[in-house]
Amino acid sequence: MTEPVLEIRGVSKSFPGVKALDNVSFAINKGEVVGLIGENGAGKSTLLKVLNGVYHADEGGIFVDGKPISISSPRQAFDSGIAMVFQEQSVLPTLTVAENIFLGREEEFIRLGLISRKRMNAAAAKELEKVHLNVDPATRCADLSFADRQMVEIAKALSLDSRINGHVTILLDEPTSVLEKKEVDLLFSIVKDLKARASFVFISHRIEEVLEISDRVYVLRDGKCVKELEAKDATVKDLHQHMVGRQLHHEYYREARQATPSSEVVLESKGLVKDGAFANISFALHAGEVLGIAGVIGSGREDLARCLAGHTKPDGGSISIAGRAVRFSAAYDATASGVGLVPAERKVEGLVAPFSVAENMTLSALPKFVSGGVIRFAAENAVAKQWIDRLKIKTPSAATMVGSLSGGNQQKVVLAKWRIAGVKVLILDHPTRGIDVGAKEDVYELIRDMTAEGLAVILLGDTLEEVIGLSNRILVMKDGEVTASFDAPPGAKPAQVDLVSHMV
Amino acid sequence: MTSDAKNRLQTWLPIIVLVLLVLLVGIYDHTFFSISNFLEVTSDTMTLFLMASGVTLVIMMGGIDLSVQAVASMTSCILAVYLPRYGVFAIPFAVLGGMVAGFLGGFVSTRLRIPSFIATLAVSGVVLSAGYWFSDTKSVIIPGELSATYLSWAVGDFLGVPNEIWVGVVFLIILSLILGLTPFGRLVRGVGAQERAVMASGIDVDRVKIAGYTLSGTMAGVAGIVMAARLGSGSPTLANEFLLPAIACIVVGGTAITGGVGSVWRTFVGALIVQVVRIGMTFVGVSVFAQQIVFGVILVVAVGVTMDRAKVFVIK
Repeated sequence: MTEPVLEIRGVSKSFPGVKALDNVSFAINKGEVVGLIGENGAGKSTLLKVLNGVYHADEGGIFVDGKPISISSPRQAFDSGIAMVFQEQSVLPTLTVAENIFLGREEEFIRLGLISRKRMNAAAAKELEKVHLNVDPATRCADLSFADRQMVEIAKALSLDSRINGHVTILLDEPTSVLEKKEVDLLFSIVKDLKARASFVFISHRIEEVLEISDRVYVLRDGKCVKELEAKDATVKDLHQHMVGRQLHHEYYREARQATPSSEVVLESKGLVKDGAFANISFALHAGEVLGIAGVIGSGREDLARCLAGHTKPDGGSISIAGRAVRFSAAYDATASGVGLVPAERKVEGLVAPFSVAENMTLSALPKFVSGGVIRFAAENAVAKQWIDRLKIKTPSAATMVGSLSGGNQQKVVLAKWRIAGVKVLILDHPTRGIDVGAKEDVYELIRDMTAEGLAVILLGDTLEEVIGLSNRILVMKDGEVTASFDAPPGAKPAQVDLVSHMV
Repeated sequence: MTSDAKNRLQTWLPIIVLVLLVLLVGIYDHTFFSISNFLEVTSDTMTLFLMASGVTLVIMMGGIDLSVQAVASMTSCILAVYLPRYGVFAIPFAVLGGMVAGFLGGFVSTRLRIPSFIATLAVSGVVLSAGYWFSDTKSVIIPGELSATYLSWAVGDFLGVPNEIWVGVVFLIILSLILGLTPFGRLVRGVGAQERAVMASGIDVDRVKIAGYTLSGTMAGVAGIVMAARLGSGSPTLANEFLLPAIACIVVGGTAITGGVGSVWRTFVGALIVQVVRIGMTFVGVSVFAQQIVFGVILVVAVGVTMDRAKVFVIK
């Protein structure tokens, strides 16, 4: 038995409030393609970032050829023979193809203190040949198509194998999400060609692809490695099962309190289109309803949420609120129509960190707290205190800076803000991201409270389980379109596998 | 250092610096310590403070207004040219000129999505030419009797205190009340601290910004009027070399250049610091022409001290 070329043993990594990786071990053998699958938030990207030196593991070690190494930067990873192709492209559009491929490694081409473009372009041409990309190395990347840029990114990672003595490992984080079938096939044939010289770790939401290209597959769930199996023995259905795993906890999601929606339509979307993000989205949202939207990254559900909340303008279709057609030119229009968004990026869009709890809570309803042009501080404070009690927000006082609270309490402040603004529709984009389990349950409780009072909720859950547990109805999105719709009454919830099959 | 302690330091440090500087200059020249001298120094500071007071709001929003010195010069010309013709109405007309210039900067920056330093720099060019146009490229003398009739509120005395100080303090109070008590004031802070969250909360951020720039232009207009009243003339280059000290006194006062934190009274203290430094330089024998070097250095040092550069990854 030969040593694995790259191995990690017992790696854990925590972020405030979440354990992203929990005692994960896996190994990659010489010339092997290893697939990594799991739901959003299962820890796949975190794992690759640990391998690539972007994150530092709290526990556990990384071994190359059986020898422990420490990786504290992407550059160090590169020098240890580990290269990464990022999900979000990292090519610099203003540089040429050749400059991108050799970014940070220009010294090999320096003659008399200057970079020899001729030599660099010649070397780049060789790298491009490997990925069958027929472009001039002197082209600026901005002038390439998105897919071509992805190939440049891959060429950059592959260039490692001619620079480093010894075996290399290339981490591919969703490299196919922007590629056409033809290009995916090309990528796979390149990977197969290079297997003699390199090993690959491959992440994709498309499980069929993972099975096609991989020799072995690891399944991650909640930061743990739950299953390791040979690709030839695995089926798509098996993998779905392992990804999802758990039984539903009816109690956890307060299913007993799931409201029965009224027939009153509060928001309706008709054929809504946003070019490059989603198309032909139609649904009606009822008072008291939780409408879940399930989908992987790139399914267009985040774009849809932002569009419904007025953050972006649609390119076609219409939105109506309580039967009246509306056109949102910015978030303030949506707020005026009674639609609010609890954003996924709480610290950037949800809260003004140096503002007090009270100041944040009244931000969307400021005119209500003004008389004679002056803020009524006493009234503001009273309302803030009321909501602090009602949502059990742990804060020393209403005047405390919101930035100093825990994630869960911050999220409750965001929810209070929209409740005070009196919204009729609340869009929750990953409302439980980065908050601890107890706070999650509080948020679920609050969602039930809201719907009991007749609010309508659109939910983009952090996990599939969450979406199913909380929603009355679920729309499944894939590649910008609604592929399925499920009713999810208490006690008769759809299974996760059923949803997944429409997602990927 | 905890953020609390840091805040306290940023609040009190400018005042401590001011007291130390006053003591230092006083040691050089004992005549510096007299009520009448303090009043004189303060009244000399007020035009600088007025010009900086409005820019303070813009900087708190995370922007910058580079047009104020050109605006002040232009309004001095408007005042000097129209006072003989329209009497007291020349004053609101001059203020209006400042308002329009400020609005223009805000409008270009927000609606056309152009960084504020470029937008206001461009407006500054337009306004400079407007000043030349109003004054026919000349310095325009304000006749003494007109000044006595219409501008005594700015240059006379009241209860033994020069009127410049009264004007400065009145605007200090008005702007502080706006910042502290009105929704606009709160949103100015919010936009500077986390613009995207304010926007996502359903606030028309562009309107807040345009209002801030308009206020900045208005205060520059007032500064130009008081300046013209003091000097007895208006000129298209009257406020030249005021921009650097104006921004220096905002930052020296402890308003963060990155936005979100600041106040107008800090700028008041900052303006006094800049003025005392100026006097000190004269004592030590620094040429008037070299003083801008010192203001440049002060600006860099003050930003270096007040800005939390650990949180800013890319400097543009």
